[in-house]
Amino acid sequence: MTKNRTNIGKPTRRVDALSKVLGTAKYVGDYKLPGMLYAHALRSEVPHARIVKLDVSPALAVPGVKAVITSDDFVDNGLYGYPKKDKYMLAYQKVRHVGEAIAVVAAETPQAALAGVQAIECVVEGLTAVTDAAHALDPDAAQVGPDRDDDKHPNLLDTFIVRKGEIEPQFENSDVVIDNHYRVSPQEHAYIETEGALAVPAPGGDIVVYSNSQTSFITRNNLVSVLGMSEDQVRVIQPVVGGAFGGKDDLCHEIAAQVAALALKTEKPVRMTLSRDESMIASYKRGSMEMHIQLAADSDGTLHTCKVESRQDSGSYASVSPFIGWRASIHAMGPYRYNACQIDVTEVYTNNGYAGAFRGFGNTESSAGIEQAIDEMAEAVGMDPIDFRLKNCLQLGAELVYGQMLTDSVGLTECLNEVRQTSGWDQKRKTYANHNAQSKIKKGIGVAAVFHGVSLGAEGEDFAAGTIEINHDYTINLTSGLTDFGQGSRTVFTLIAAEELGVRPERIRMLRPDTDTSLYSGPTVASRSTVLGGNATRTTAQNLAHMLDLAAANLLKCDVEQLLRVEEAYVGPSEEPVTWENVVDHARLMGMILSTHGKWVAPEIAWNEHSGRGMPYFAYHFGAQVVEVTVDTGTGKTDVVGVWAAHDVGKVIFPQGAYGQVYGGIAQGLGYALMERVDYDLGYIQNTNFDEYLIPTALDMPDIEASLIEKHLKVGPYGAKNVAEPAMVPAAPATLNAIYHATGRRVRDLPANLERVLLGHDLRKAGDSTACKLGLLAKPPNN
Amino acid sequence: MLIEFNLNREKITVDAPPDITLMALLRDYLGLTGTKEGCEVGECGACSIILDDKLVSSCTVLAPQVNGRAVMTIEGVSEPDNSPNDLQENFIDYGAVQCGYCIPGMVLAGEALLTKTLQPTRADIREGISGNLCRCTGYQQIVDAIEGTAQERLAKQNKEQAS
Repeated sequence: MTKNRTNIGKPTRRVDALSKVLGTAKYVGDYKLPGMLYAHALRSEVPHARIVKLDVSPALAVPGVKAVITSDDFVDNGLYGYPKKDKYMLAYQKVRHVGEAIAVVAAETPQAALAGVQAIECVVEGLTAVTDAAHALDPDAAQVGPDRDDDKHPNLLDTFIVRKGEIEPQFENSDVVIDNHYRVSPQEHAYIETEGALAVPAPGGDIVVYSNSQTSFITRNNLVSVLGMSEDQVRVIQPVVGGAFGGKDDLCHEIAAQVAALALKTEKPVRMTLSRDESMIASYKRGSMEMHIQLAADSDGTLHTCKVESRQDSGSYASVSPFIGWRASIHAMGPYRYNACQIDVTEVYTNNGYAGAFRGFGNTESSAGIEQAIDEMAEAVGMDPIDFRLKNCLQLGAELVYGQMLTDSVGLTECLNEVRQTSGWDQKRKTYANHNAQSKIKKGIGVAAVFHGVSLGAEGEDFAAGTIEINHDYTINLTSGLTDFGQGSRTVFTLIAAEELGVRPERIRMLRPDTDTSLYSGPTVASRSTVLGGNATRTTAQNLAHMLDLAAANLLKCDVEQLLRVEEAYVGPSEEPVTWENVVDHARLMGMILSTHGKWVAPEIAWNEHSGRGMPYFAYHFGAQVVEVTVDTGTGKTDVVGVWAAHDVGKVIFPQGAYGQVYGGIAQGLGYALMERVDYDLGYIQNTNFDEYLIPTALDMPDIEASLIEKHLKVGPYGAKNVAEPAMVPAAPATLNAIYHATGRRVRDLPANLERVLLGHDLRKAGDSTACKLGLLAKPPNN
Repeated sequence: MLIEFNLNREKITVDAPPDITLMALLRDYLGLTGTKEGCEVGECGACSIILDDKLVSSCTVLAPQVNGRAVMTIEGVSEPDNSPNDLQENFIDYGAVQCGYCIPGMVLAGEALLTKTLQPTRADIREGISGNLCRCTGYQQIVDAIEGTAQERLAKQNKEQAS
């Protein structure tokens, strides 16, 4: 049977855009049920303390207050976490960061909930806070991490290594060595919708929770565990989600558990949505990282050795930092070939908030260091930064330092050549020196490259599943266990199902994630939706298409191979078309149940954590970006005036969405480069709203010219790979390289704010910044 | 207290406490949840509405301040049959929507700009939406959508004047 590709890679409208432009899309904070209670949390105002008294009975005496919960209300005190169980749904015995929730009040009004929180008697005894990651493993450092049964420091979270050959002889015998330290700051996700959940008691003691977490199944599994319920008693539904970027996991699971416990206790619906200040104080961030990078090359520009020692601050809890540290180690050397390589990543506990998943997941951090070091090496050997990268970068057939051969879909050279051309690189690199000699406004242009492992890699089992069903009105219901919080995967899955079934996408209703109707597919992270969820959708739809083909062949009295499709209709050898609806009816007459499911499991990979070698991912994304800046040497102000991006994303399925991911990723990367820093001063967060934590506005963004390079991946759906995370990664180092090109002075600490660009160091702040600026108790919760 | 104002071209009277914000009045008393809460300090623009002819953050306006004035929310932008207007259509067509949370405010920011001029430069558009934060899109396709709408409206206006 022959089919033309009609949906894949063609301009399409996003399936969920209409309700969003009309303002009718319902986010969790937009739900209001009769009798619904409002929940508000008591949060720690200190970075590290023992809870010596927690008496909630005064809160229960406040008019309107219906219930209060503490860690006592959960099984095993609400201990949860993956891969490491070290956090509680509400603080148990100790608080380890400012903003950690201690108790939650449910009341008839937000004002009463707040009054209840204020009435709780909570006495804490301060403990020494560990706020400098460099000293977290000192023998006398206060214990932040959990007790451990070996002789290692309890503040050591994890270590990761990558090894190839012996680096020492290589450094000794090399012509040029680069040896520098780089630092990146904590970054706030700044999704415009804050975290929240609504729990609704259901008949028989069951519970339904609307949660804006990224992965409804993980929320469900956590609820099952801490509430002591069975899977069939807990249903989690994901409403429309207002952005996530990796940030809507742990805290969202906690809020879901808190409102669920309160709803079970009160037998009423309970909702909690965080104010912006609460969200910024309580949520996890991208963790800070310090990198010591040493590179060695021959004078002809052949790069041959890389050594990186990184220390990541995970803050007070592990969250998914062990996975982040692993990905940071795998990408620490950048997309280049080396004879020898030695990577060591150490993660420590401190009382600086806590760190977790954020777009790029360790690679954003690692690349901010290595892509500057690569530029420094290019200069040291007297080569143009793009020429140097082209000479040393990964190509088809190259061996990655871990021993894995690149045998499919490698488009880095094409990406570098593309941005060189679209940005006018060669001419600008040549002429800006003359301009800068005569002007206080300096111009500069910089480049960075990226590779990024597709999906989870060695983080865990890697599969996704979907379902599809034809309804009696000939519409089609499609589900996926992977969720869409804005990135566009619902549209990607709709297009794939339409393609395989040969129907108009308008027939398909891509349902929202619901643990009662969709199938577990692992977490919605790691830019894995298109490849994993796309392949699962494709398999599911192919299973259904196969049934319909058999029915059509039966109806048209021919073999399946003789069938043709003309738009939706089936045509047999007699050339008399029958409608898709006729085929569906006939299939039902034949006794077929037109409902299928499908699962796709990623190709096997292998990683040896002891040798630091193996095959960490089954495929890689490649990309390059050029950023052009002007720097005012009077003020230190950097303006980004142009960005050119090229990303090898494999086959593009939903072009508008793919470009949107590139533009949005670049915006987050430019913010990371120039203005975004969550400042923990002695463990006290200093930026608690958008007046203190600045993210790029439309005025901070230039027009971006993006190119999508389609190096088809054999195992990807139609050849597709990934885009969401790697789109962010090169923007920051390319910006820093551009600033250096403009000013001749390198800023190795992100962000490159005014004082760092102008003075080369931070300005000291006067006064005491440890005064609690939470304002949590002074402000009523949302209603 | 009774607050009387023009909401989405209809005169309404609503009884609400005097100390709440316009955002709370719209969301909690009138059920217009298209106006989103993002920061409560007037920094993010998710709660943008058009007050008379000006784009304002409804979290920075007290409800009684709208007495006798005209308020346009996202619910008042669409066509009478609730289908999207031309700007909303273009937000969809140009791919300007991702998570969607900032979009009601962005659409209103676009409308406020386009009532002032149908020949904005891209820099004018960026200025016009600079009080509205979006974390998903990098703004590019939003600027495209507003620019495209300006051109279409201008062409339509020129055609009407010519005929």
